[in-house]
Parts: sequence; C-alpha cells; structure tokens
Amino acid sequence: MRRRTTLPLLTVATVGASLFVAVAPASAHGYISSPPSRQANCARGAVANCGDIVYEPQSVEAPKGSTQCNGGGTRFAVLNDNGRNWPAASVGSSVTFNWVLTARHSTSTWEYFIGGTRLASFNDGGAQPGATKSHTVSMGGFTGRQTVLARWNIADTINAFYSCVDVNIGGGGGTPPTTPPPTTPPTQPPTTPPTQPPAGGTWRAGAAYSPGNVVTYGGASYSCRQAHTALAGWEPPNVPALWSRI
Amino acid sequence: MRRLATALLMLIALAGCAADPAQPPPPAYNSTDVMFLQMSLDHIRQGEQVVALAGPRATDPRVRALINELGAQWQSEAATMGRWLTGWQQPPSADPAAGAHAGHGDLHSLRPADIAELEAARGADFDRTAVSLLLGHLHNCVEVTRMEVTGGQYPPAKALAETMTAQRQSQIQAMLALAA
Repeated sequence: MRRRTTLPLLTVATVGASLFVAVAPASAHGYISSPPSRQANCARGAVANCGDIVYEPQSVEAPKGSTQCNGGGTRFAVLNDNGRNWPAASVGSSVTFNWVLTARHSTSTWEYFIGGTRLASFNDGGAQPGATKSHTVSMGGFTGRQTVLARWNIADTINAFYSCVDVNIGGGGGTPPTTPPPTTPPTQPPTTPPTQPPAGGTWRAGAAYSPGNVVTYGGASYSCRQAHTALAGWEPPNVPALWSRI
Repeated sequence: MRRLATALLMLIALAGCAADPAQPPPPAYNSTDVMFLQMSLDHIRQGEQVVALAGPRATDPRVRALINELGAQWQSEAATMGRWLTGWQQPPSADPAAGAHAGHGDLHSLRPADIAELEAARGADFDRTAVSLLLGHLHNCVEVTRMEVTGGQYPPAKALAETMTAQRQSQIQAMLALAA
C-alpha cells in the first residue's frame, strides 16, 4: 500500500517545481555611451555580430585590475578583438566621457588608461553616482588612433566595470583599423574613412554623415542637414530633418 | 499496483474532462510570467516620470518623438499586464509597498533624486540627462523582458516580451545614436 501514494506525491512535486523555477535577471551596471564605447557601438548596431553584448552593454563586469576591454572575464571576448572595424570618434586633446548607469553602486574610483599609462583617476570615496556621470580627461599628449580603457571600480565588491573607447585624437575623422573585416559593405570604397562617405555614395545604416555629405537613395540624391550616424528607419526620404532632397 | 496506478490516472483524466467538457483549460503561467509582469509594471511606473517631464520639455524634436513613442507603448503594455495579473488574482507589484517605495534604495530603480536632477537640468543638458536616464532604464527593462522570453510559460506574455525587447532595443539604438 505504501506505493499507492507515489504518483500523487510526484505530481505535486512536479507542479511545485514548475511554479517556483524563477530566472533571476542578471545584475548589471554601466558603460560609456559618449564617445561611443565598443559595447555602445555593438548595441547601436554600428558594429555587427557582437553577440549578447547588444542586449547588455552595461554588463562588462570582472575583478578589478584588468587591462582588457572585456575585463578578462569569460564573456564578451569580442570587445578585445582589435580586428573588428571599431569606429573611432574624432576628439581633441581632452575628452568628456559620459556614462550610462543601470545600477548606481557605491564607487571607489573611475580610471582612464591608454596602453599602460593612466591618464586620470577620479575618487568618489564610496559615494553613489547621481543621475548622470561624466569625466573630462586629458589625452596626455597621445595622438592619432588610440583605445582608451575606462574602469569603474565599485567600492563594496571586488569588481569593476570595463569600457573601451576608440578615439582618433586630433584627427579629422574616424580612421578604420588597418584590417577591415569581411563584413564591410561593398558600397564603401576602401580608401575612404567611414565617417566621410563620398559624394554620390549610397546611403547606408551605420555610416556617420556630416552636413554637406551627398548620398543617393531610391534613385534620388540627398544632402545631409545635420551630423548623425544613420540607423535603419532613418532613410533620407523618411527623415527630412536630417536630409534634404537635391 | 500498476493497475491501481493506471486506474488512478484514468480517474484523474476523467475528472478533468468532466469538470469542463466544452472548453480547454486556459494556458498555464508560471512564476516567471508573474515576475515579468510585476517588474515591468514597476519599470513603467518609474519610466513614466521621465516621459511626463521630458516628453513636453526636451529641446531636440527627435528626443521628444522617441520619448512620446515610448510613453504610448508603455501605456498600452501596462493595461494588458494589469489585466493578466488581475485575471490570475496576483498583486500588480511584487512588493505591496512598491507604490510608496519605488525608487528608494533599489540600485536598479530610477530614484527621486534622479528625477529631481532631470527637472533641474536646462537646455542641452536636460536632453542629455533624459536620454542617459532612459538608456539605463531601458537596459533594465530589457533584462526583464529577455528573462520572460527565456523562462516564461504563458504564450501571450512571452509574445509581448518579445515585442517589447525588439521595441526597446530599437529605441536604445536610436538614443545611443543621439548620445554619441
């Protein structure tokens, strides 16, 4: 008679388990949005095939002290890949970095590096960040294309959040890396930096346009009215604020 | 014993049929569905504070358009979510006091101080603060919608979560382009 109770008990256990399995959301925190960090460029679609980082650019968390763009963790190795066509923002000799925060942790320091050189460190002494967070950092005499590594060191955990920002210091436009990936669209002549599309080029999402640039789309020519990075849905005929038909 | 178990199973099956011979049972839901709805409603309540402030005040028409689009989508999503939770006789928020305490202490919430900073900001700084706050907030929203897509059970809620993930990601893309 003892076995008679087995079935109902099993049934109850199964129903219970299916009711109480909960998937806790990952805990996540922050990244640099401007100039766009590598994870920001992935999230906004300026660089393709980045993997899960597009959904959580804020999650590049790893123990403090790494010099890698992914913090040396097991995830997001794409951020370390210098062979990707990371757009480089044109900047002057000092740069203001703006963070997007999804959790406002008590902070020890914010650090900025180029190579092994620490450009700046801002000590928050354990305070929580406010609504926004920005730092203006001198590029310390570095010029040309560089990768700035930023580390947000959390006060009450062993971890930091990592963000790499590709910049072109004193440059007139983002220069692509020397090894263009095979995903580069054929509409882009190899001699032209991506931020300066040629007159008469075909409009494409992901390209950065400045006033005066002329593109073709749907058989018509358009002139750029204000600087922007094109997104799908922002085709010239759809956005008169950005493009005027010639 | 096996025959007894079989008989028991048949009895359960027959009882199930007899209880409601005409209609199939409504789709089942699990605790992830409930958590998704409750957390998303909290997110929407918080985010609507930014929408209410920045929808009318943002300087850049592209920022205004994005915020107003988001506000309209949130309004319709919240109505659906509230209806499901009511149907399941679940509270509209995981924390019964969330209405009073939203934003106090939770690291992942928009705090009253953040809303106050936005209110005090002027000009381009106002737009920048609004976009920055919303970007962070939408990333938190997407974590919950992706959790539902993976772990939810109620098909309409999973479908809503997929739509929300796609819409929020495209809004994040547009805001990142504006912030760049």
